[in-house]
Amino acid sequence: MKPSAIALAALLPCLAASLGEVDKAKTFGNPGAPVRIELFSDFQCPGCKAFHEVLLPVIIRDYVVPGKAYIFNHEFPLAMHPHSREAANLATAAATVGKYSQVADVLFLNQASWGTNGKVWETVATVLTPAEQKKVQALAKDPAILAQVQQEVDSGQAQRIPQTPTIIVSRGAKRYSFPGPDQNNYPLLRSLIDGLLK
Amino acid sequence: MVFSSKPLRWLELILRIALGGIFTYAAWVKLRDPWELYALAINSYEVLPLWAVEIVARTLPWLELAIGVGLIAGIWLRISATVTSLLLMVFFALMVRAFAKGMQINCGCFGGADIISKWTLLRDGSMLAGSLLLTSMAFARQRKTT
Repeated sequence: MKPSAIALAALLPCLAASLGEVDKAKTFGNPGAPVRIELFSDFQCPGCKAFHEVLLPVIIRDYVVPGKAYIFNHEFPLAMHPHSREAANLATAAATVGKYSQVADVLFLNQASWGTNGKVWETVATVLTPAEQKKVQALAKDPAILAQVQQEVDSGQAQRIPQTPTIIVSRGAKRYSFPGPDQNNYPLLRSLIDGLLK
Repeated sequence: MVFSSKPLRWLELILRIALGGIFTYAAWVKLRDPWELYALAINSYEVLPLWAVEIVARTLPWLELAIGVGLIAGIWLRISATVTSLLLMVFFALMVRAFAKGMQINCGCFGGADIISKWTLLRDGSMLAGSLLLTSMAFARQRKTT
């Protein structure tokens, strides 16, 4: 199990009851935490894979687990990636059965494979039970799920997200966009979040 | 000397106010936000180590502010115009390098999302041309008065 999935499993009880089921599953941490980190990501983007597998567990360890920040994932499939919209739809559908994190992990882990052969569903199905597979497959075509994904894309475009991954770090009225977070610039991100926490 | 003619004095004034205003605005948008955001933009060019990125991000906006005020006020014009030209040459060279390498990065010019493109190169190239003209005018006038 990946570190992010472990952290998510540990933190799920903290999620706000007022959020919708999909929103809940896409949130890491306690919504009452002082700093909010919004992540705009594309399952087919290599930088997003690196962020998910390397930096996200570090951010969760440093800020989410201690209750200093919480993370909200937004789907932001780019038009240049032919399978990323399908992946976003399936992951959002999987969120309704509480499997968003597992689906995200397996999609990023096997990005090179399904990104080439287009077998997105076959990849997603490996972390779902037969009952969940049936439900998720149907929900991935549900207009409500498609609208949810589109709403997240529209939100990113309205905020002029320049690239993926991009994170928006905010506390109250202070809101800062941080495109391309990676291991190299994590000290800058850490300094920014620490500044907001003061 | 041609630089003493009235139209050219007006041109010098316009260049001073325009470049001074641009530099003051560029400094203001950087100074109002946490320095880390400007540092991120500098870091994305991949030319400096992180410790140097921090120094540049913390000091360059203040230099831009001083230059902007200097140009608008018309004080130490030769120095402020020369520093402006040198800075713009460095900025422009870095932007051309990034564009040529296909790097989809924020130029870091005026804060916010400003991805390097032909438009940003044209904009900064025009500023550099204006700055070089202003610098040459400042030195030519100095030669005439001495």
